[in-house]
Amino acid sequence: MTARPRPSLYARALPYLLIAPTFVIVFLFTLKPTVSAVVDSTFRPARLPQDSPSFVGLENYLALFDPAHHIGARFGGILLNTLLFGFGTVLITTPLALTFAVLINRRLPLRGLWRFGFVYPSLLPVIGAASIWAFIYADQVGLAAAIFGAGNPNWLGSPSLALLSVMVVHIWSQTGYTMLLYLAGMQNIPRDLYEAAALDGAGDVQQLVYITVPLLQRTTLFVLTIAFTFAFQTVDQLQALTEGGPGDRSNLLLYFIYQNIGERRNWGYINAMTVILGAIVLVFTLSNFLLFDRRGRES
Amino acid sequence: MFNRRVVMALFSAVVVLLAVVPVTAQESQITLDFYFPEASANNAQAIFEEYAALFTEQNPNIAINVVYQGSYTDNRNIIQTQLAAGEGPDVAVMLTTDLLSFIEAGTIVPAQTFIDQDAEGEAYVEDFFDAFLLNSVDENGQIWAIPFQRSTPILYYNADLFAEAGIDAPPSNRDELVDVATALTTDDRSGFWFPSEGFPIWLFSAFQIAGGEPLVGERFDEVNFNTEATAEGLQYILDLSRVHGVMPEGALSWGDGPTIFTSGQAAMLAHTTGSLTRILNEADFEVGTAFLPFGAADDDSTGYGAPTGGGNLYIFANSTPEEQAAAWEWVKFLSSPEIQADWTARTGYIAARESAWETDTLTDLVESTPQYAVARDQLAFAGKEFTAFRSIDIQNIINTTLGSIIAGDENDIAGALEAAQTQIDSLLAE
Repeated sequence: MTARPRPSLYARALPYLLIAPTFVIVFLFTLKPTVSAVVDSTFRPARLPQDSPSFVGLENYLALFDPAHHIGARFGGILLNTLLFGFGTVLITTPLALTFAVLINRRLPLRGLWRFGFVYPSLLPVIGAASIWAFIYADQVGLAAAIFGAGNPNWLGSPSLALLSVMVVHIWSQTGYTMLLYLAGMQNIPRDLYEAAALDGAGDVQQLVYITVPLLQRTTLFVLTIAFTFAFQTVDQLQALTEGGPGDRSNLLLYFIYQNIGERRNWGYINAMTVILGAIVLVFTLSNFLLFDRRGRES
Repeated sequence: MFNRRVVMALFSAVVVLLAVVPVTAQESQITLDFYFPEASANNAQAIFEEYAALFTEQNPNIAINVVYQGSYTDNRNIIQTQLAAGEGPDVAVMLTTDLLSFIEAGTIVPAQTFIDQDAEGEAYVEDFFDAFLLNSVDENGQIWAIPFQRSTPILYYNADLFAEAGIDAPPSNRDELVDVATALTTDDRSGFWFPSEGFPIWLFSAFQIAGGEPLVGERFDEVNFNTEATAEGLQYILDLSRVHGVMPEGALSWGDGPTIFTSGQAAMLAHTTGSLTRILNEADFEVGTAFLPFGAADDDSTGYGAPTGGGNLYIFANSTPEEQAAAWEWVKFLSSPEIQADWTARTGYIAARESAWETDTLTDLVESTPQYAVARDQLAFAGKEFTAFRSIDIQNIINTTLGSIIAGDENDIAGALEAAQTQIDSLLAE
């Protein structure tokens, strides 16, 4: 090895120059709004738009848990829906996607067609996909009504089914995308591992449990993180399907924020809710990293 | 390929254009920015451009810049953002219910000022249907906005099924509605369809207006939600599914309502008059229209009542006095009987002026399609559309409360109405 000369100023500055555009965008559209959401969540707007807002400390947060408050009365139930939706969809989507990925990774006849069929739902714009489902679910005239006939439940209008119906749409549209990530991950697993395992007498299930799943841990970490974040960003499906109803039975936090943003005087609460939403995603992502990353390093 | 000569030619063309454009712009001294939303599939952009050309022909010194801004909500949010930055349109179509937030913010000017200066101002105001002006005035009776694209909900019925069942007239009160719906219900058909999904406040307020206890009166700081009319109306809707079995349980779709009706899966439907043209086109049976019969029978055994809806024309405070005066001319033009009549014929909205209905356009339309006159005649029983301070928040409270009761999620009606009223009152007291 020969001793390298000291890099020029240009070479040293280059990495910073290269990340500068990304940094500017992240700063403007992520860091700055996050900080101002935290700051603004401690203020309450004045009655008239021309007056300046007043500092209220944590009062906006307390109001969110006050059942006599116009937003507090609804917030608790919506938060619960959001957690249910997040965990429910992620816990179903992830194993489902892994299963599909394993199946499709084999030498199936018409493999391309299968892949396309599974991935295609996630290629549709969410609002378009949700509109398709609105036709399926439509009372009396929809596809589901044609299948179930007179016993067709009111998918979007019944309090016990509305959230579930929206979750089905989300799982349908996310599974293909998640499967794609798993398929990509699988291409990185060396074939000789499987060959060695097969020589040692490991069956398909054992290969899956002892080789595929452990080696896909990195992918799983990524998948869980983005799937959870996506679940918390659900707005379009609600707009097309239930508008959060009936009552608030299918309402989710981000859509609730959107519903209330038209009234300037709610902006304090809206920022407080945004901070809470961000905190939940952050806690989940961090615990994911701590859990998986440590296990990943140990092995 | 582009050689140097072509590039030079293009370049000089651009320079010449840049030099010419300001000169032509100066010829018409005032250019008004006119923003409008679209809530139905009517290709309003093309119609407005046609109106603008006609207007400029009559008023050569005023040009209209017609700008489509998305849904009612998008349009309002864009305007509010631009106004905050000291910009924004000179005139716009916005929801009638937006009135108060703009008065409060001081961003619009009262149309009353221009009406008072106009020699024919008094006659002009007289000509509007009273029900439509209710949502144009403040607590002192001063007019701020001019009715433009207004609507109201009506009852649609399948006249073929009525004839088969020997029913000779549409129901005129809530008891008759139950009777007729029961007679027309079969295993695969609902007798009646009351859409309650999403935004029930508008259609439901017909129960409150017919019951003599409207949500809002003349004051903007008083909302009466926890009333007998509300409780009775809710019980009535629940009974339609649970007791009489003429309608499925749960929140029923608003958007699919017309399709369910025209495909023969519901014999009657409550929906906006804005759906009339579409329903007439889609139905392969005789479509009847009637007043909403949600009230109890009164002395003449009818129980009518309905809210109004739709958009008004607003003039903005940011514009110069000259622009505002020009904007008033444009507003007068759009609300003229001829334009109102044309707009009704092409969109289905209800022309807001009585004289518009005397034009050939509308007398011909009513003669060939009498269904169009029902919404106009129902105005005699129409009440104010919901407006109050904190209107968005209060509408959210009312929609959520109505939604969960009608869907059967909340069974303590009295308790839910009381809780909602408490939230509303504390908002109004803030």
